[in-house]
Amino acid sequence: MTLDFGLVALDIISSWIRMILALVLSILFALAVGIWAARSKRAEAVILPLLDIFQSIPILAFFPFVIFAIYGLPGSVLHNFVGANLAVIILIFTSMSWNIAFGVYEAVKAIPQDYIDLLSVTQASSWQRIRSLYIPASMSRVAYNTQISWAVGLFFLAASEIISEGQGGAGEQIPIPYGIGVGAAAFPPASADYALLIAGIVVAVVIWRYLFLRAFALWSEKFKMMEEPRDVHRDPITRFYSYVNHRAVSKLFLIAHGMGVSRFTSTITRFRRGLKYAVLIFLLLIALLLLSALSHAGGVNLGGLPSWSEVVTDELGILYALGVSFVRVWYVYAICVAIGLPLGIAISLNFKLYDAVSPVLEVISSVPAPILLPVIVLIPVLGGSSEAVAALVIMLAIIWYIIFNVMAGVRTLPADLKDLPNVYRTGRLAAWRNVYLPGALTGFVTGSITAIGGAWNALIIAEYFNPLGSSVPLTEVGSGIGKAIAIATNSADYLTLTLAVASMTALIVGFNLVVWRRLYNRVTKRYTYNR
Amino acid sequence: MKGKTALSERQVEVAAGTVVVTVDHVNLDYHKEKEPLPVLTDVSLTAVKDQLVAITGPSGCGKSTLLRIISGLVKPTSGRVRVLDSEVKGPRDDISIVFQNFVLLPWRTALENVLFGLSSRKDLTDEQKNRKAESALEIAGLQGFESVYPGELSGGMKQRVGVARALAGDPRVMLLDEPFSSLDDLTAERLRREMHTLLISPQTSVQSVILVSHNVEEIIELADKVIVLSSRPAHVVGELKVDLPRPRNKKSDEFFQWVDRVYSLLS
Repeated sequence: MTLDFGLVALDIISSWIRMILALVLSILFALAVGIWAARSKRAEAVILPLLDIFQSIPILAFFPFVIFAIYGLPGSVLHNFVGANLAVIILIFTSMSWNIAFGVYEAVKAIPQDYIDLLSVTQASSWQRIRSLYIPASMSRVAYNTQISWAVGLFFLAASEIISEGQGGAGEQIPIPYGIGVGAAAFPPASADYALLIAGIVVAVVIWRYLFLRAFALWSEKFKMMEEPRDVHRDPITRFYSYVNHRAVSKLFLIAHGMGVSRFTSTITRFRRGLKYAVLIFLLLIALLLLSALSHAGGVNLGGLPSWSEVVTDELGILYALGVSFVRVWYVYAICVAIGLPLGIAISLNFKLYDAVSPVLEVISSVPAPILLPVIVLIPVLGGSSEAVAALVIMLAIIWYIIFNVMAGVRTLPADLKDLPNVYRTGRLAAWRNVYLPGALTGFVTGSITAIGGAWNALIIAEYFNPLGSSVPLTEVGSGIGKAIAIATNSADYLTLTLAVASMTALIVGFNLVVWRRLYNRVTKRYTYNR
Repeated sequence: MKGKTALSERQVEVAAGTVVVTVDHVNLDYHKEKEPLPVLTDVSLTAVKDQLVAITGPSGCGKSTLLRIISGLVKPTSGRVRVLDSEVKGPRDDISIVFQNFVLLPWRTALENVLFGLSSRKDLTDEQKNRKAESALEIAGLQGFESVYPGELSGGMKQRVGVARALAGDPRVMLLDEPFSSLDDLTAERLRREMHTLLISPQTSVQSVILVSHNVEEIIELADKVIVLSSRPAHVVGELKVDLPRPRNKKSDEFFQWVDRVYSLLS
């Protein structure tokens, strides 16, 4: 057997080029939208809730529509190599940009009034303000958030490349010949080429991390204008994950500050505003269903729109699958909490362990879980159980959010607080119950929100994996919304796809607003450490 | 006032004039990469019964680190710390700290925060712990605030919870790490005035207080003895016995002379 170094290299380079293009696009978008929202009250009122919604919906589920809209439309000028790649890049872009946009928004919002007054006094033009103040002030946030966005983006890159392979089953092959997702789907699992691909990805991740992401973060430090509390023991991951943590907290409260209302009332208003959007989405969905049903009943055939009964029965099947997936997401999440929460706390309480373990975790966490699926299927302990395979893939995709956010939460606790159990020799149990667990809680909830979101995305790969469109899929769970979406995508069944994606989105957005947001507000109120 | 007898049980053990805290030729080096970086060199001091000893020095000189060595939280590279006759080898029941930033658990009530300071006391029943905690809060001037969370308290009151927590376990030695510098001037003034009478009184078990502060007026107002440290690596550059009568008048000429004396050692 000969190793195909050239092909593996081509896969990695193609993927990286897509990622870099998406990143550039994301940063430009984030600067524009973030600065706009921060400097205009009216823009802020529209942009923030939208960013919030986009951040929580399962973007991956929309990929088939993106592919269809850009590449698949009959007679499209983009029905070629460019269009296919554009669809992938747009998907990665949508996964990366919200996070960076929030960072820019907060950075600009946090610029001390004195600086803005200074520019007013010197009568700087808008463009001068943007160039000389807003962009530099956002730079360090952009750099930190880029590190997170990159890891998230890799997941979406791999997943979308795999999905676009699968679409070949429905019709012609989509012209994405190279990519890490393509490689993972095409190389036989347990082959030397596949192993080489994984090794190549790890090397690429490490090189990229240290040559670019870290350098970018360090370079951007010089733009920091405000004194920020510095950890005694600072390293890039602590800083950026503590930043995620901090971002989520400040997201809620900085806005209050900017609006000049009390924190509490503003949180309530934001909650109400968010609710309005959720209702809007629900209404849109219902309208969509009604429209399709009515048009059929009225004898108007708008190009094969489905009958009402079809909609209902499909939707019922989808609701069942959604229920199964809901349970799946939550039990896997529970396992991740049981492992990640104590692990995260234990690691960050011990300096030596922290220094030894965190770079390793950092690298493992950046290998996108979908890439590993072909080899996970072969793990003997799982006994070929598709449920176990799905659980493990989801776990590998999300456990990092919990571990890293918990680590960041514990590390930002002041040293004196961590010494407290020592001063009073309280014993381990009392220390965990009174200090470490409550201290980690804010980070834990932030991490949980992201983890649950990630789990819904991971379902689409984890529940059904059949990239080459063979008659026997590599793995396939009994039922699940991810499976429904994957199969509908492969067979170009846009009705089922629409219903599945819409119900899933509605469930997630609704759940976020009703459960997470409230929980988050309660937790940050009491469990944020500020003296 | 039922808690008082319990709180003062350690008070009677020691005769006046006994040395309570001894810091004996303490050195501390940080080990950064290759070379040891000296932080404290040959620091010695004592605190006798009912004395409040203040440690001051330029900022970043290692005052707080010295306090952490006395508490047993940080191990010195060489030298020893003794409380009465026993060597301090780690944190222990009879030494407590009050921190600059209070370090309260925001997710626990005032009473629970004080109780947390009693977690290691296996010799007490829950009911006894509750009584002790309540009376410590009362002594610190927080009666009626038992079930309030720290976030709902003002800075001065938070620090009172910190003091109550430190007092509840009947410590012999009370270490104060810049306890007033996070407070606004008026609050600090009031708390400072109460602190000396509160700590050095038969009402509590405290036999010696060691205060770290960079506020020279505060030091002259409170201290019986002042230890002045040099900048890094810190060593003792002066030791002054402040024999101003109490209560001390901060506007008197003598007071300013003492303040000047400390300043001249600092510069």
